[in-house]
Amino acid sequence: MTELRFVIKLMFIERKDMYISIIYGVLAGLSTVAVFADSGYLVSKAALLPPLYILTIFVALLKLFTVIRAFARYAERYYSHRATFTILSNVRTYFFTKLEPLAPSLFQRFRSGDLLARVVGDVESLQNFFLRVYYPPIVMLVVFLTTVLFTAMFSWPVALILLLGLVITGFCIPFIFAIKQRGIQAKIRQLRTELSTDTTEFLYGFLDLKLYQRLSSKEKKLSQTSDVYIEEQEVKGKKEQLNSAVNHWFSLLTSWSVIALGAYLVSAGEVDGVFLAMLVLISLTVFETAAPMTEVPGYFEDTRHAAERLSSIINEAEKQQELKSNGRLTELDGPPEIECKNVHFCFPGEARPTLTDVSLQLPSGSKTAIVGPSGSGKSTLLHLLLKLYPPSSGTIRIQGQDLAHLDEDQLWKNISPVLQGNHFFYGCVRENLRLAGDNISDDKMNEVLSYVKLDHLSVDSVVLEKGANLSGGEKQRLAIARAMLKKGSLLLLDEPTSSVDPITQQRVMNRLFTGAKDNTIVLISHNLTGLEHMDQIIVMDQGRIIESGTYQELMEMRGYFYRMKMIENGIWGQVQ
Amino acid sequence: MKQLKDLAKQQKRSMYSLSFTAFVIGCMTVLQALLIVSIVTNIFLEEMPFSAVILQLAALLAVFSVRGLCAYIHGKTGIAMASQAKKQFRQALITQYSHNPVQASIKGQSGQKVTLVTDVVDEIDPYFSKYYPQRILSSIVSIILLAAVVWQNWVSAVIMLVTAPLIPVFMIIIGKKTEKKALQHVEKLTVLAGKFLDSLQGLVTLKLFGKVKEEAALIKKSSIDYRTATMDVLKFAFLSSLVLELISMLGTALIALEVGLRLVIYQNISFFPAFFVLAIAPEFYKTLKDVGSAFHAGKGSMAAAEKIIDELEGSHQTIKWGNKMLSDTACPPSMVLNNLSFTYGEDHFSLHGINAEFEPNSQIAIIGPSGAGKTSLLHLLAGIYKPATGEVLVNDEPLFTYDEREWFDKLIYISQDPYIFSGTIKDNILIACPEKKISENELGTVLEKAGLTELIQQLENGINTSIGEAGRGLSGGEKQRIALARAFLKRPSIILFDEPTVGLDLYTESILQKSIAELAQTATIITVAHRLHTIKQADCILYLEKGTLVGKGTHKELLEQTKDYLTMVEEHQGGAAG
Repeated sequence: MTELRFVIKLMFIERKDMYISIIYGVLAGLSTVAVFADSGYLVSKAALLPPLYILTIFVALLKLFTVIRAFARYAERYYSHRATFTILSNVRTYFFTKLEPLAPSLFQRFRSGDLLARVVGDVESLQNFFLRVYYPPIVMLVVFLTTVLFTAMFSWPVALILLLGLVITGFCIPFIFAIKQRGIQAKIRQLRTELSTDTTEFLYGFLDLKLYQRLSSKEKKLSQTSDVYIEEQEVKGKKEQLNSAVNHWFSLLTSWSVIALGAYLVSAGEVDGVFLAMLVLISLTVFETAAPMTEVPGYFEDTRHAAERLSSIINEAEKQQELKSNGRLTELDGPPEIECKNVHFCFPGEARPTLTDVSLQLPSGSKTAIVGPSGSGKSTLLHLLLKLYPPSSGTIRIQGQDLAHLDEDQLWKNISPVLQGNHFFYGCVRENLRLAGDNISDDKMNEVLSYVKLDHLSVDSVVLEKGANLSGGEKQRLAIARAMLKKGSLLLLDEPTSSVDPITQQRVMNRLFTGAKDNTIVLISHNLTGLEHMDQIIVMDQGRIIESGTYQELMEMRGYFYRMKMIENGIWGQVQ
Repeated sequence: MKQLKDLAKQQKRSMYSLSFTAFVIGCMTVLQALLIVSIVTNIFLEEMPFSAVILQLAALLAVFSVRGLCAYIHGKTGIAMASQAKKQFRQALITQYSHNPVQASIKGQSGQKVTLVTDVVDEIDPYFSKYYPQRILSSIVSIILLAAVVWQNWVSAVIMLVTAPLIPVFMIIIGKKTEKKALQHVEKLTVLAGKFLDSLQGLVTLKLFGKVKEEAALIKKSSIDYRTATMDVLKFAFLSSLVLELISMLGTALIALEVGLRLVIYQNISFFPAFFVLAIAPEFYKTLKDVGSAFHAGKGSMAAAEKIIDELEGSHQTIKWGNKMLSDTACPPSMVLNNLSFTYGEDHFSLHGINAEFEPNSQIAIIGPSGAGKTSLLHLLAGIYKPATGEVLVNDEPLFTYDEREWFDKLIYISQDPYIFSGTIKDNILIACPEKKISENELGTVLEKAGLTELIQQLENGINTSIGEAGRGLSGGEKQRIALARAFLKRPSIILFDEPTVGLDLYTESILQKSIAELAQTATIITVAHRLHTIKQADCILYLEKGTLVGKGTHKELLEQTKDYLTMVEEHQGGAAG
C-alpha cells in the first residue's frame, strides 16, 4: 500500500470531483434499492386493498426513485470520469518533473523505446486506481450499510444476514481469488513478450530463415507459443468466470436465507407480512451494487505493480538529485577548450568496454572530426562530452574544469547539439525551432531554414510526432537549423548529414562552418570526404583512438585512415 | 463482421451448449420468480405456517444453484470459443506470412505485422467471450420471460413488448451519434494522449535546450484538453445508458402502475400474477440492456477482425517446388536467366526482360543506381520470389522443378545486414547446417577463417555468449563475419552476396575479401557490387537501370559498349578524386 501513497496524494487534489462522484454513486445505488423496495411494498400493500391515496403516493415515489436513479447514475459516471482524467493529468505532470533529472541515465538504461513506453503505460494505468479501485468499494459500503440499517428497522436478523452476505461477497471472495490470480497475470505478461519476440524473429528474420530452411520449425515454434499463450489466457478467463459465479451464488444464497428467514419470521408473527416481498426484493437487488467489487482486486494488483515500478524510478531520481553537484560553470567567455584524459566507458551489464583509454585535446575554436567504422564508440564519446553519462574512469575537462563537477543546465546552455535520432515534437516547425530560444522571429527562422535548404518548409508547416512526416534528410537539416539558432559556442555534431545528398550536404556544412567559424566544433562524420580543412581528425576503432592528425598527415601516414579512404574511393553509389 | 458470426456458427458444439444453458437460465429465472412469489403469497396472504413452504424453499435453493452453474458454464463456453477463434486467426496469419515470399522485401512494415499477430488477434476475444454468448443468452431468455408473463398477465406482456424495442432503437441512434463524435475527435485525441510519451521521448532534447519547465506546463494543458475532448465523447455514451435506463425503469414503473391499479381499483388480478410480473420485468429489461453493453465490447473485435481479414485477403504468391535432385558433382550448376520479369504490384517498381547466362564457377556482378532492382534480381535468383514471366534455368531445368531443400542446401545469401537470431553465437553459426554434426575442430577453423576467433576470446562466455534481440548488440562488421562463418560451414556452390556500402572496419573488410575469394573457388558467386575491384574482377557484369538490363559483359567490354556505364565510371572517379 505504501507504493500507492503518492497516487492517493495526487488523487486528493481533485477531492471535489471525487466527493461528488461518491455522492452520486451512493444516490444511484440507494435509489435502485429504493425502487425495488417500493415496488415490493406497493404490490403487497395493494393486495390488502388500502385507500387509493396511499397507493398513489407509493407509485409517485416509485417514479421519483426511478428518475433519480437514472440521473444520479449519469452524474456519477460523468464526475468520476472527469476526476479520473484530471488525476491522470496530475500524475503525468508529477512524473514528468520527477523523471526529468533522470533523463540521460534513463536513456542509458532504457535504450529501447519500449521501456519508455512502459513507463507511460504504467502512468496511464494509475488512472484506474480511482475509477476502479478506490471509489467503488466506498459507494458499495455506504449503500450496503444504509440498506442494512433500513432493513434492521423491520427485522434485525434479516439485516444481519445481509451484512454477512456483504462481508463474504464484497470482501472474502474477491480477496481469495485475487491471491489465486496473482501468479497468472505475471505469467501471461511473460508469454505475451515471448509471443512478440517469436513473431518479431519470424518476420524480421524471414529471409534468413527461409534460406536456411528453418522457416517451418520457427513457424511451429511460433504456433506453439501462441497456443500456450491462448491457453493461459483461457485459464485466466475461466478463473475469473468461476470467481464471479461463486460470488453470484453466495449472493443468491444470502437472498435465499433472507427469504427463508423472512418467511419464518412472518409466520412466527415477528415481522408484518406486508414487508416480506419488500425484504426479498431488497436482498435480490442490493447485491448488484457489489458487482464492481469482483474487479477491484485485479485492478488493485495492476495499479499496485505500476506504482511499485514507478516509485522505484522516483526513488532513484531522488537519489540522483541528492548526488547532483551544485558546481557552477563560470560563464564561458568564448568557445571552450576540451580535454579528455584516459577515459574509459562501459555500459552497465556489457562485457566489452565501449571506450578504452581515450585521451584527446580540443583547443578553443578548433574543428575536430571523429571517424571510424560503425560500433567504434564515436557517438558514446560525444555523449560523454555532453555529460549524458559519466565516464567509468578518467576525466573530461572543459575550460580546465572537471565535467563531473559542472552544473548540467549551465553546460548545455553553451552547447549546440545535433545528435542522431533528434527528437521533434508534434506541432509546427516554429514550435520545434523555438526550443532554441523564445525570442526568435519568424524571419530569422525562415532565414536559417533557407541556410539548410529547407525553403520548402515554412515556420507554420506541420511536424508530426517524432517528425514522422519528414524524411531522414529533412529531419537532420531541421536539427541543424535548431542548433544554428541556439548559438552555442560548442557544436557537437553526430553524423548530422548522413541522409542528405552529397551536394546539399556540402552546402549545408559550409554554411554551418561559416556561421560557427570561431566556435569549437566536434563532428562525427560518416564519410571521409570534406575533412581536408579540419584542424584535427581522430580515427577510432573498437573504442580506441588509433590515429589522429590533419587530413594531410593521416594520408601521408598511410595507416588506417588512408586505407579507409582507399576503400571509400573504391565504393560507388553510396548515398543517392 | 459477418465472418466473425460465421466463425462462431462453425463451433457447433459450443453454439448448442450456449443455447442450451441460455434456455436453462431462462427457465430457472421464471421458476425462481414463481417460487419466490408463491412463498411470499403463502406466508403473507394465505398465512400458512412456515413448514408449508419448506419444500418450496428447498426447490428455490436448487433453482439458484442450477442458475449459477449454468451461468458459469455459459461464460466458460464463450471463453473457450474465443480461444478457438484466436488460434484460428493467428494460425491463418502465420501461415499466410510463411508462404508469401514478398514478405521478405517489406521489412519496413514488420512492426505493424507483429502487432497484427499479437495484439490485434487478442482484440478478437471480447466478441466471442462477451458479445456472442450474451446475444444468445438475451435472445433466448427474453423470449422465455415474455412467454411467462403472457401466461400470467398478458397486459403486462403488451407493455413489455411495446417498450422493449425502444432499447435497440435508441441504442442505434445514440451509437451512431457517438461514433460520429468520436471520429471527429479521433485525431485530436490520439495527439493529446500521445503528448506525454512524446515529451518523455524528447526529454534529452528538452534538457539540452533548457526547456523542461515549459514542457511540464504543456503536459498539464494537453492532459486537460484531452479530458475535455474525451468527456465530450463520453457524455454521449453516458447519455445512451441514461436513456436505456430510463426506458427500462419506465417500463417497470408502467407495469407496476398497471398491476397496482388492476389489483386495487379494478380488482381483476390477484396478488400472485401481480407480484410475479413485477419480479420478472426488471430481469427482462436487464437482459436487453446487457446486450447493449456487450455490443460495445464486441465492436472492437469486429474492427480487429476486419484488419486481419484484409491482410489475409492481400496478395498471395506461393511457390511450388518440384522434387528433382541437383546432380551431386563438385561443380556448381550453370544458371540461365530466361526473359525474367518481376513486379511488386501495379504502381510499384518492376524488373523486366532480363536475359543472362552464368557459367559454373563464374563471378557475376550486378550493378546500377539504387532502386534499379538489384536486390530483387538477387531474390529471384535465390528462388524466394516468383517471376511474373520467364524463368531461371539451373542445369537447363527450371529452378522450381528442383527440390526446395536440395536447392537451399546448395546456396547461401550474405545480405548487407545479416539477421542475428536471439541465441548464442554458436547457435547463430550452426543455423547454416542444422543437421550436420560439427566437430569442435571444424568449428574452430570456421571461426578462424571468418575472423571471429579474437572476438570470441574476449568474451567471458566465448562462443556461448547470447546475441541478437535478447543478447547484446554486435557491430555491423561483426554481423558480417558471423554471416561469413555460416558460409564457411555450409560451403555452398552458389553464393549470393550483397556487398556492404559503408561502415565496415578495415579488419572486416580484409576478412571479407579473403573469404569471398576463397569461397568463390568452389562456387558461382553473384554479387550486388559496390566496390570497384569486385566489378573489375567479374567475369560478367549486369548493369541495371530502372529494372532493365542496359549492359552486359566484362568491365572492359562494357566500357566500350555501354555509354551510360562509361559515364558512371567517369563520374565516380571524378567524385573520388575530388
